[in-house]
Amino acid sequence: MRDLTVGQYYPSNSVVHRADPRFKLLILCVYFVMVFFCDTFFSFAFVTVFVLVTVFIARVPLLKVLKGIRPVLIVLLFTTALMIVFYRDESAAPLAEWWIFKIYLSGIYASLKLAWRLLLLVLMPSLLTLTSTPTEICDGWESLLTPLKWIKVPVHELALIMSIALRLIPTLVDETDKIMNAQKARCAEFDSRNPFKKIKAMLPVLIPLFVSSFRRADELADAMDSRCYRGAKGRTRMKKLKCRAGDVIALLFWCAVFVCVLFLKYNWLNWAFIPLLGI
Amino acid sequence: MLEVVRLSYVYSPKTPFAKQALRGVDLKIEDGDFFGIIGGTGAGKSTLVSHFNALTRVQKKSGTVVVDGVDLSGKRLDLKKLRASVGMVFQYPEHQLFDDTVEKDVAFGPKNLGLTKDEQAARAKQAIELVGLDYAEFAQRSPFELSGGQKRRVAIAGVIAMHPKILVLDEPTAGLDPKGKREIMKLILNIKQLCPTVIMISHNMDEIAEYCNKIAVMKNGAVAGVYTPRELFGSRETIGSCGVALPLVTELAAKLCAAGLPVDPATLTEDDLIKQLTEAARA
Repeated sequence: MRDLTVGQYYPSNSVVHRADPRFKLLILCVYFVMVFFCDTFFSFAFVTVFVLVTVFIARVPLLKVLKGIRPVLIVLLFTTALMIVFYRDESAAPLAEWWIFKIYLSGIYASLKLAWRLLLLVLMPSLLTLTSTPTEICDGWESLLTPLKWIKVPVHELALIMSIALRLIPTLVDETDKIMNAQKARCAEFDSRNPFKKIKAMLPVLIPLFVSSFRRADELADAMDSRCYRGAKGRTRMKKLKCRAGDVIALLFWCAVFVCVLFLKYNWLNWAFIPLLGI
Repeated sequence: MLEVVRLSYVYSPKTPFAKQALRGVDLKIEDGDFFGIIGGTGAGKSTLVSHFNALTRVQKKSGTVVVDGVDLSGKRLDLKKLRASVGMVFQYPEHQLFDDTVEKDVAFGPKNLGLTKDEQAARAKQAIELVGLDYAEFAQRSPFELSGGQKRRVAIAGVIAMHPKILVLDEPTAGLDPKGKREIMKLILNIKQLCPTVIMISHNMDEIAEYCNKIAVMKNGAVAGVYTPRELFGSRETIGSCGVALPLVTELAAKLCAAGLPVDPATLTEDDLIKQLTEAARA
């Protein structure tokens, strides 16, 4: 259990780590939209180069970033496989045919692009969570969503709930670890194959965990009360988010990459070299 | 007998979070010992004792732990047998209570050992009575409605019911009032008649000085020395070199001695101090 951490922050002192989380989130938004405008192998490669450069600047091992793929790996393989066998291209003859499956060259291209796109969609968020702590991301969202306050959305409260939840995850993991050890010391077994038995075996852990969560919540509420917490009104921050020139430049840079991708797709000025870059 | 041989342990090895918790610990705990382990936070006390019942497995090439002839670094380990013979009471054990009656909670360990229903009930009854709770009154109550001290007794009973040969206690008196502390220590002495070897981690030097016959001082993941209470608290040098505080009684005795009263400055228990003072008053 100890290795389980949400927000797999990878400590290092790189430019990317120090950047303003708001700008990282904005860049991520721009990036997401951009990836959906990529439609040729060249444009995918173009974007990938910048992603790799960002990973390099962030001084995070590429393997760590790639680990972000693990949860979606099955989906990725499954969709790619389905795409290959069920893609239909009326204008060309199939490369191979068996029962209801037909494989076309364009189908292979399309599924490769799909896989590449999914990969790109996973890599950047993975990099974000590796280079920013959950608290930073939460603060970033709170700041970005401030306009919603005008239509009476309780942004501060939502952000507070999020940050308390995030803050308590490691504590609860620790607690679970302790309780599991205590029950293991009384010869409890948690590695049963039978799922029903497994749930039953977890009861001696879950019940004390619930009890202690409620106790903790009560204590936290008391502690906040005794420090005169009264919500967002008039509240200032200890750690102010500061945007520096570098953050703005990074955002503008990614916008520029976005424009390049748009040009690659629509070729508004009818440059002759763009069609030559391939499918 | 429990023997620790050059035991080392690293948390999260090969990551940026890697932290060496134990560095070549050597210890020998004989049957019948009341063995104290002291040291500051992060000294590795809890990591060390969690090896004793294989909750923390010995890492490769990091020494070993031998409990009654069983090498815990071996691959094929009968965990059930080991955990039944090495009982472990963690800090704030009352936080692990879960069942709807005290009796069922105490019988959880025996049940996991695969004992018969009768045997489970018999062991639960014996353990509940051993920790000083009235069986008729408490057996069918919910553990969650008891007082803090009572909950802790129930939790300790849950470990005792497995009939361990070695009992490991991690700060058994933490968070209790002075009266509760005294009662728990008395209870541990009672338990010691059934389970002769007791290992106790504590920050309370008075308890350590009064009850333990051997004390290991841990510092930075290593054992700085193993002493008898008299050796440790009797000489200023060892106390200074180990960075240990004096028990309150010993401090008081030292001050009385400095004030000219005929008192042994290395007095370790309250009873002893009172005896000396009454004798001095008589004389």
